[in-house]
Amino acid sequence: MRVIKDRKIVDDAWVLLAPDAPVPEAGDVIVHLEQWNTGRESFSGRAGKIGVLLKSHESPEQIQALAQLPLIAIDFPSFTDGRGYSSARLLRERHAYRGELRAVGDVLRDQLFYMERCGLDSFALKAGKDIEGALSAFQDFSVTYQAAADDQRPLFRRVNR
Amino acid sequence: MAKRSGTHYVLSAQLLETGAPAYLTAAGVWSTNLQDAHTVLTDEERDLLLAQAEQQQRSVCDPYAFDVRVERGAIDPLSARERIRAAGPSTRVRRPDPQPPATLSRASEPRSDAGE
Amino acid sequence: MNQYQYDAYDQQIVEERARQFAGQVERRVSGEMTENEFKPVRLQNGLYMQLHAYMFRIAVPYGVLNSRQLRKLGYLARTYDRGYGHLTTRQNVQFNWPKLEDIPRALEHLAEVQMHAVQTSGNCIRNVTSDPFAGVAPDELEDPRPYCEILRQWSTFHPEFAFLPRKFKIAVTGTPGHDRAAIRYHDIGVRIVNNEAGERGFEIWAGGGLGRTPVIGKPIRKFIEYEHLLSYCEAILRVYNLYGRRDNKFKARIKILVNELGTEPFRLAVEAEWALIKDSALKLTRAEYERVAQHFQPPPYEKLAAAPGAGGALLAAELGRDRDYARWLQRNVLPHKVPGYKTVVLTAKDKDTPPGDISDTQFDAVADLADRYSFGRAVVMHTQNLVLTDVKESDLRDLHQRLVELDLATPNHGLLTDQICCPGLDYCALANARSIPISLELNRRFDDLDYLNDVGPCSIKISGCINACGHHHIANIGILGINKHGAEAYQLTLGGNDSDSASIGRILGPSFDEHGIVDAVAQVIETYLALRLSDDETFLECYRRLGDKPFKAAVYKDATPRDDDSEQAVA
Repeated sequence: MRVIKDRKIVDDAWVLLAPDAPVPEAGDVIVHLEQWNTGRESFSGRAGKIGVLLKSHESPEQIQALAQLPLIAIDFPSFTDGRGYSSARLLRERHAYRGELRAVGDVLRDQLFYMERCGLDSFALKAGKDIEGALSAFQDFSVTYQAAADDQRPLFRRVNR
Repeated sequence: MAKRSGTHYVLSAQLLETGAPAYLTAAGVWSTNLQDAHTVLTDEERDLLLAQAEQQQRSVCDPYAFDVRVERGAIDPLSARERIRAAGPSTRVRRPDPQPPATLSRASEPRSDAGE
Repeated sequence: MNQYQYDAYDQQIVEERARQFAGQVERRVSGEMTENEFKPVRLQNGLYMQLHAYMFRIAVPYGVLNSRQLRKLGYLARTYDRGYGHLTTRQNVQFNWPKLEDIPRALEHLAEVQMHAVQTSGNCIRNVTSDPFAGVAPDELEDPRPYCEILRQWSTFHPEFAFLPRKFKIAVTGTPGHDRAAIRYHDIGVRIVNNEAGERGFEIWAGGGLGRTPVIGKPIRKFIEYEHLLSYCEAILRVYNLYGRRDNKFKARIKILVNELGTEPFRLAVEAEWALIKDSALKLTRAEYERVAQHFQPPPYEKLAAAPGAGGALLAAELGRDRDYARWLQRNVLPHKVPGYKTVVLTAKDKDTPPGDISDTQFDAVADLADRYSFGRAVVMHTQNLVLTDVKESDLRDLHQRLVELDLATPNHGLLTDQICCPGLDYCALANARSIPISLELNRRFDDLDYLNDVGPCSIKISGCINACGHHHIANIGILGINKHGAEAYQLTLGGNDSDSASIGRILGPSFDEHGIVDAVAQVIETYLALRLSDDETFLECYRRLGDKPFKAAVYKDATPRDDDSEQAVA
């Protein structure tokens, strides 16, 4: 599917599995948190990457062996559920997570700027939305006031005002 | 299932352009005059019209239905809220606050919104 | 200038925001965005939907306006609206009749004068409010405005907190002994204080609020040094964002979280989060504080003596000659920390105009008055009046004359007819009943200034529904509009207080219709006058001494017992 990654549109093969769905032998799949935590040892032999879905009521501390994960998908069940923004910042700033942090779910162009500031770097836009048009959202602001994952210094520490 | 006797439904929304209250007429266009409104008796008809109104996002926002009585051809809302909504603010402001003339605004063709 | 002036960064941010919203409006009009997708976007740009039209709420950071901005508001009222604007209970200004497609241009206009409509609605951090007499009040410990400005910048487009469970309101007071910013009723309330060692810092309150479930906030941090202001607020917001309820819109404010967790567990959660970020770059630097604070240096006051015969003697002299002027001096003219200056309240509360409404001509005229008499500045009070903060005593008479001509001189500041009143069912889609006609009727009933002065300080606040935007819970006399079997009805609450000795008003008894409520208020006042110990005992003191009983007896003495009508207001 087409996603935005590092501000470009790419095709990628990550597949989000249903909870408790059997994990196929091959392919890049995103599993639910519980499945990762209980079954991660068993995934080691397979051909393909494993990523984890973090739902909005779940928290980064619950993810075991965080550093091993090439991708964490943060779910936005409704775009008005803002918990994923905090989770993203905590993953980047507190847990020093360096893998791909993907926004999935009700992801719209008008939230991309904030999402990226919070440390998300790839975005699976909601179905039917204009993915090309969405790219310009990253240029909405050239100046920001506060610290976030993209720069942990508030403006007053970045520049001489 | 028919509505309980004595009351009808009117379908209403706010015009996207101004936020003004608008009422669905029998012709399928939106009027800012409550007395132009089409009155509906059954839940089924109400729901059908609501579903259609949801598709008209380019002209109206947040469609819903409310209860009215129809007496001698005049539509009278049951609630104070809808009466004031139809008539405008009851308070005088410092400068004369003329009522806007009632306007008919054509609802756009049902359009499949991207992503809907 | 005695007001924060934008630098290139601040200016860029509001201009880019205006452009962003213009694009979003285009996409809504074209149908690319649905109303559901557009709603939070337009709310966070100040565009709210009311009963008859959109409402456009412009941010006035901690209430401060300069004359250029006042003229711009007059221009917007004239050009894009119906010739008036409205002062709000969060020190903002709102317009009742804008068109969607005019808003991007209106935002450009606002950006020209360093204004915006950022985050004045929506589930985000709203306008930071403060004491309208900040910087000039003689009892002030320290000017809160630099901290308000610092909080404003921190909260503007904060990427983590744009989709909170619900709205979030912060207020700051620099007068720990006399809170004029109602900080105990905010999601975060900040008091500037000295600790026992005499060091300056903040006391932080959290979880206060009005609405359907009024709650006095809790002090969760007795003292924190100035440099930790941002990190501590960030910790509170993060805890709220992660753990605030999202299942029920009416139980989503932070006050519910504090209540359900318990104050101590909530405090520990905040402290635990704060411990991890307190030494981060969020720490406020001395340099940044100074940079912001230097904008709030005092204006070039003249060296003046206080007016001869100041106080009582002056008043007595005036009372003989010009009662109107004397009354105005007595009520609307307040002490100033600089000798020879006063702070003047411009009351937008006359008998004929919805409380808090300001016409375009008044905006323009107040701009001129600000330039002429008050270093070009005015302040919006959350009680829906304006203030000219720095008026020379020698200018008071001239100013009074000009204000009389403008209908901004009603000498009732702090009296019964200086009411807070929400827009109510005349304007608001949430309301159950109209509030403005009640306010106007009360003003007509209580139009005798001698009587009003005899009654003394007594607040009436009117809300058209249980969302309590009119602050009725914290009024000495509160009026709440309810829906009673489809008709408008009104409940009376007594004994609320919005300041340091905080209290929530209690419902007196069964509700009234629009005539009954005015009579009931009159009976309450009569009862107070009959039972007070002396002229000096205020209404609130009298109520606290006597409780409900005598008021209840007086108001309901002719009432026949009916079906249980002391209902909780219906949603």
